[in-house]
Parts: sequence; structure tokens; C-alpha cells
Amino acid sequence: MDRIYIEYDNARITKGEGILLNVELYDGRKFENLEARRLFPITGLDKYITLLDEEGVEKAVIRDINTLMEESRENVLNALHEYYLIPKITRIYEAYEKYGLLKMRVDTDRGKYSFDVKNRNNDIKHLYDGRVLIRDSSDNRYEIRDFRQLDKKSQQVFNPYM
Amino acid sequence: MLPENILTNLPFPSEFAKKAEELLAADEKVLFCLVGDLDLKGLYNQSAVLTTDKRIFAFDKYHEGGVLIVDLKDVTESKVKRMYGNAMLRVTCGDKKVDLFRFTYSVASLADGAAIFYENLAKGNDPLKEVELVEATFKKMKSFCPKCGRALSSAGAECINCASKGKLVKKLAGYILPEKGTLLFCFFLSLITTSMALAPPYITKMLVDEVIESSNLKKLYQLVVTLLLIYMVQYTIGTIRGHYMRKAGSRTVTRLRNDIYAKAQYLPMAFYDKISTGSVFARISGDTNNLQAFMLRITQEAIVQAFLAVGIIIIMFSLNWKLTLLSLIPVPLVVLGARYFGQKISPIYRRIWRRWSSVSAILSDTLPGVRVIKSFTSEDRAINKFNSYNNEWLQEDIRASVLANIFPHAVTFFVTCGSLLIWGIGGKWAIDGEITLGLLVSFISYAGMFYGPVNFFASLNDGYQSALTSAERILDIIDAEPEQNFGEGNMVESLKGKIEYRSVNFSFDKIKKTLTNINLVIEPGDIVGIVGTTGSGKSTLVNLFMRFYDNYEGEILVDGVNIKDIDLQSFRSKIGYVQQEALMFRDTIFNNIAYSNPSATVEEVIHAADVANAHSFIAKLPEGYDTMLGERGTGLSGGERQRLSIARAVLKNPSILIFDEATAAVDSETEELIQTAIERLISGRTTLMIAHRLSTLRKANKIIVVDKGEIIEFGSHDELMALKGKYYKLIEIQSMSEKIRKNKEAENFE
Ligand SMILES: Nc1ncnc2c1ncn2[C@@H]1O[C@H](COP(=O)(O)OP(=O)(O)O)[C@@H](O)[C@H]1O
Ligand SMILES: [Mg+2]
Repeated sequence: MDRIYIEYDNARITKGEGILLNVELYDGRKFENLEARRLFPITGLDKYITLLDEEGVEKAVIRDINTLMEESRENVLNALHEYYLIPKITRIYEAYEKYGLLKMRVDTDRGKYSFDVKNRNNDIKHLYDGRVLIRDSSDNRYEIRDFRQLDKKSQQVFNPYM
Repeated sequence: MLPENILTNLPFPSEFAKKAEELLAADEKVLFCLVGDLDLKGLYNQSAVLTTDKRIFAFDKYHEGGVLIVDLKDVTESKVKRMYGNAMLRVTCGDKKVDLFRFTYSVASLADGAAIFYENLAKGNDPLKEVELVEATFKKMKSFCPKCGRALSSAGAECINCASKGKLVKKLAGYILPEKGTLLFCFFLSLITTSMALAPPYITKMLVDEVIESSNLKKLYQLVVTLLLIYMVQYTIGTIRGHYMRKAGSRTVTRLRNDIYAKAQYLPMAFYDKISTGSVFARISGDTNNLQAFMLRITQEAIVQAFLAVGIIIIMFSLNWKLTLLSLIPVPLVVLGARYFGQKISPIYRRIWRRWSSVSAILSDTLPGVRVIKSFTSEDRAINKFNSYNNEWLQEDIRASVLANIFPHAVTFFVTCGSLLIWGIGGKWAIDGEITLGLLVSFISYAGMFYGPVNFFASLNDGYQSALTSAERILDIIDAEPEQNFGEGNMVESLKGKIEYRSVNFSFDKIKKTLTNINLVIEPGDIVGIVGTTGSGKSTLVNLFMRFYDNYEGEILVDGVNIKDIDLQSFRSKIGYVQQEALMFRDTIFNNIAYSNPSATVEEVIHAADVANAHSFIAKLPEGYDTMLGERGTGLSGGERQRLSIARAVLKNPSILIFDEATAAVDSETEELIQTAIERLISGRTTLMIAHRLSTLRKANKIIVVDKGEIIEFGSHDELMALKGKYYKLIEIQSMSEKIRKNKEAENFE
């Protein structure tokens, strides 16, 4: 099967309905209202973005967002930012255990929020690149970009649970 | 006015309430509200949807004027659009799509309920009736455990999480308690040895100051013999005590292991979807040992050491208080150091454990897959991967070892400094004649002994940290929520076999809905074929019926009773479940068949094997029914194993049968054998048969077509053929490829 790979300037990507994208290939082919999804949401944030139509059928794959033309790049990044709601935790006010749940109160790039973590052994993952991924009891995800870059207080509050 | 007892998940924000009151018509009846946590741009913010019998009000600061109003009768479609970590409630009015409100997964199941409500209204259903369904969803969400805030399965039910969770110590004490007789005995013995240990330095003092000074030979020999006796008793008792301690310890750890294993058997499938079996192994083998060692230390050594410390201090003070204070100088240093050390080392212990559980995970993952490894000649890769994980463990362990060794040696150093102080200052006092030589010598001994307990308590923290991590991980399993069994004790004799699904929605991970709005009635004795493309949700549909997952919305009933209200084991024992992969255990063929009914007689087993078309091949095996199978049943072909698993089902004499692609992995000849076996088995029993090849559904009187988690067609073969929908297409495709295959075969024979 021939997969259409989008890179550099071989396609123009514009905003479609809602968070959907329109794609126009350099050879004139057009696709409307595609949904952008990461093929590697954890290990390769900006690489290999698949574009699906409403039926979930893949129409094209972006090799690397960063090679796209500026406007296309912005549109794809915005679409992804809307689809993937993984708040980046910037500050941890509180983290304590109660009745077997880890209760957390944090500040994120999307505002302040409080949530519970069920099991700290399974729901908190420390990646090699310094990122920390957290899953709460409702299956929402959060991310700490780099634990060591957090302020001292936040580090202190959360350290016992890492 | 908004009614007081309005149906809502969270208090309805007052600023929205004010606005709503202005907008509501006098005869408009508020049905329910949803309060969400995101605004339309995806930032944390308050938003809400209020539904009345006429209109929907969506409150969000990005709607014009802060509120969007939709007329319910304009709504033609309604959907929850699931994204990653968030979702959107969306309605379609004619050809216009409207985003009502955005939320995180915390509210997702309620929004699903709302979406179904809007859709049902669009179909012309009565709002007041439909709202009952929404109410049920809300009720379920609302029944929280007052303590931990987790959702309960029904209002007022006991919280499984809290019920099983006590204080760590209390929980663990339960495992030691049965040993209290032995432990008390050992404790008594150690009191004797400890008091005896206190005597020798004092006797030394007597030897130096009195006996040698006065050249009293008789007394010298007396004291030496006394010392000899003391040592003999001390070490004999020590040996006996060691033996009993070990016995108590091993018994404790056995109990703990048995419990974890038993507990692991009752954990729900959802638990095993998330956790690696390797990490369960590590908990059962390593953590229990670690914990046991610590529990014994704390119950025995701690008391003994404290006793020793107090004894020494009392003796030392009674001998000379000035020297005593002198020798206590390093104690605060040691205590502070221990605290610091504990903080440093505990994260390392956690990491070591995690590395170790990765190593175990590789073992439990790759050894059973050795066939795959060999077929891809990837032995080297497997070895390298294992080596690298093992090395990571090593790195961590070395790191811990550095710290773990610095500490005790630093302690010893300080202690030695303490004895230097005694030598330096006490020595001068001895020269000055302030104290006797014997006192000095015995003091040095006591001070040395005193640092035993100090060292013990200082390093207790180290052991405590590592035991704590072990305890936590063990409690991960012991305290995990077991499969919910609310109908416990509510046994069923047999089932007639009427199966009903009522508005069932299910999602494994909340990101993607696996089953959507399943409604289904299967009559007793029906043979139901379930078809659909792979991944459409067929297995999940029956897995919910097997109660492998119970966090679905809606209800599943059997003979008119909610399956959750029936005793779990009694319920499952009435169902014969044959999977695509026939998993056998490392045991004889006989035992593998009799697995479903260990009390079956030999002839019953043979009969079952006969019904399953298995007897003939078993009879040909040199060791017949005594043939030992390998792990997971290696040594038999896939088709043979499948027939054994059908024999198992026969022996169980179930009321309801479920086949999940039972013949998908075998050739067409074996398929025929299995098929006839199945047909013999299903007579008169309600049967759900998931089939890959539609030709195997010749006995089915009803067909369900599943597509993307929804039932899109349901009816008899003829009805569905007449419908010319998905089923018709599937049949066409398959009969075409069947024809091609037949032609090919014919060609080859010619
Ligand atoms: N344990 C699981 N955890 C998460 N998702 C699962 C799990 N089992 C199945 N799924 C997903 O659920 C969907 C339906 O699976 P399944 O019912 O096995 O399909 P079928 O039996 O029709 O082939 C698939 O998309 C599959 O990826
Ligand atoms: Mg399946």
C-alpha cells in the first residue's frame, strides 16, 4: 500500500471544521476534514502524525511537523493541542495520601486542578528523558515536562511519591 | 426558579443558575444538569449543560453571551466526541453541528447518558420517560464512598476499597499474630541471653580490680568458670532461639504468600490488563521475604535491643555518671545521620525494585515465547535485552550499596571515636587515681556494647524503608479491589438461558468506547451467531456477560435477573466458555478435561471426550489419558487442544454456551470435527457463537452483526439476507473466497 507522506512543502494544511484539517497535496489532490492523531504520543511527539477521515481511514501521514511550512505547522500543532488534553503540570501545591488515594492539587498550563491517583506504582511513570506521566482515577493524563526543572517546593512535595 | 433537588453531578454554579432563571419559560421543566470542568478552548474552567423538557442550555464563556440555547426538537443526532483526556458533547441540528460543552473524562459517562437521551428524544420518545435512564446513570455516579470518594456500584453499598484497607501495621500484624506463642517464647529466651550478655564486663572489672590486685587464685578460677558457664548458656539458648525464630518467620511468609496468591486469583481482568505478571511474581517471591525479615526484626530484635540499651545505661550510670555522659556524646550524630541516610536511600530501594520487576517481567514474558524467539533467530536480541535490564538493576544496586555501606561504617567510626574519648579522658582519670583500672576496662566494653543497639536503631530506618516499599507493593495486591460479588450467596441451580442487554455502554480506558448502546434480547434455547470484523467488539460483548469486566453502564440480565445480583462463582459455573486459544495446564489430558469438574468419574470424562470428538485421538496416544501436556498444553495440535477444551465444556454441563471463534485457528477438516462436536453440545442450550467463518453458523437461528461497537443488524439469516446490509455483504465476500478456494483445490487435484 502506498502511503502518502507529507513533509516539507509537498502539502498545504489549512484549518477545517472545528479541530479538523484540510489538506491539499502539491499534485492537486485534496482531503477535507481530517483528524490529526499522533502515532507515537509518548515517544515522538512531533513525528508521524496520521490524518484520518471521519470513518477513521488514514489519508496521509506527516513525517515531522517541524519540516512543514510555517502556516501548516501551526494548524497541525493547534489541532493536536486541542485533541490531546494532557495538561503540563507547572507547580504542585499539594500531594498527600488519603484512604489509599494520592490526592494532588496542581497548577498546569491549562489552569489549576485537583485530582486523585489510584495507585502510585502503576499510575505514575518516570521516563528516561525526565518526563513524568501521571494518570488519574478518571483516566485523565497529566505530564511533568522535567521534574528537576520544577521549583524546589513542588519537588519536595511530590518527591516521596516518585 | 431552579428546583432545589435538581439532578446534577456537582452543585450547579450560581452565576449560571442566575442566567438560567432569567431564560427559563414558566412552564419549562428542568430535567437535569451536567457540570463540567473545561471550557471550549480546553482550559480548566466551569461550564455546564442544563436540559429541560424543551431546550438545552449550554453555559460556557466562549458561547455568545455565555450561553447557547438549542431547541430539543431541532436535534437530529447527538454524540460524545472522545478525544485524548477530554471529550465534547455535540449535537447535530439538521446539517449544523453544534459543540455544546467540553469536559475531562471525569464527567464522560454522564455526558454519554445525556447524548443517548437527546438521541432518544430525536427518535420521538417521551422525555419524562427517558430521563429515568439519565437518572440511573447519575445515581450510579453519585453513590460515592464517603471516605475515599470512589464510586460505589450502588448507593449505600460497602466500599470495597475501604473495607479491605486498614492500617498497614494492623494488616501485617494479622500475619504475625498466629506466631505469638513462639515469639513470646523466643522473646523470653532473648531476655535471658541479654541479661547474661550484661554480666561479662562487670566480671572483668571484678577480675582486674579485686582478683588480680589481691592475687586471689581461687576466686580467679571461680570467675573464669562462671564466665564459661555464661557463654555456654548464652550460645545454647541463642541456637534454640534462632531455630524457633526461623520457623515462625517461614510460617509467616508462607501465610503471606498463600494469601497473595489467593487474592490474585480473585482480581478482576482489568487488573491484569494493567499489571505485568512479572511484577506479581516479584511481589510473591521477593517482597514477602523482605517483609518477613523486617517484621521479625521489629517484633524481636527491637525489643531486645532496647532492653539491652536500657540495661547498659543503667549499669554504666551506676558505675560512673561522668564517663557515661562522655560515651554518649556521639549518639546524636548517629541519630541525625540515620534520618538523613533514610531519606537518601528509600528512592533507591524503589528503583531497585522497579528494575528487578522489569527483569522478572522479561523472564515471564520471553521464556514462554521461546518458540517465537527461535523462529526469528533472535536469541541474541533476547539475551542482550535481558543483559541490559539486568545491568540496569546492577547499576541501581551498586548505587544503593555505596550508600548502604557508607552509613554503618560511618557509625562504627563515630563509635570508635567515642571509645577514644573514654580512653583519653578516662585513662587520665585512671592515672590520676580517680577511677580504678577495672572500671575503665569494663566501661570500654559497655560502651562498645551500647553501640550495638544504637547501630541497630539507626539502621532500622534502612530496613524500614525497604520493608515499607515491599509492604506497599504487597498491599497493592492484597488491597486491590477484588471482583465485585454483590450477589454473593445468591446461588442459581440452573439457568433457562434468557439473556438481555439493556443500554449497555462500555469502554476499557475511557478514551475509546468499545461498546455503544447495546440492546439485545436472546430467548432460551436460541443459537445466536455473532459476526463482525475483527476489533468490532464481539469478544468484549461476551466478556461482559462472563463478568470479566463489570464497570459498564446499563444492565445485563439473565432470566430477568441482573447478572451482578447472582453469586459470581455460581453464575460462571453455569456457563461453558470456549475460547479461540484453548489453554491447557501442565498436567495430564485426563486432569485437563476434568478441570471443569474435578469430581467427574473416569467414564464421564471419556464420554465428554467422545462428544467433543477427542476420544479417538486420545486413544491413539501411547499414554492415552495419562499423556502429560507441556506448559499451556504444548504437545498437541491446535485442533486437538480445542477439542479438549470442548470436552471440558461438555463435562461442565453448562446452561449457556459461549464460543469465541472456537474454530478460527484450525484447518477445515478439523473444523468439521469440532463443528459436529459443538452441534452435539449445544442442543437445547442458549448458545452465543462468535464466528469468523460464517459457514460455521449453519445452526444459528439468530445473527447479530457488530460493527464498531454497535449492533447494526439483528435477526435470522433469512431476514438479514433480505436486508441486504452488512451481513449480506459479509456472506457474499466469504462465499466468493470460498468458491475461489474450492476451485483452487479442484485444480490441484487434477
Ligand atoms: N483488554 C483490553 N484493553 C483495552 N482494549 C481492549 C482490550 N481488549 C480488547 N480491546 C479493544 O476493544 C476492541 C474490541 O475488541 P474485541 O472485542 O476483542 O474485538 P473482536 O472480538 O470483535 O475482534 C478492540 O478495538 C480492541 O483493541
Ligand atoms: Mg475476539
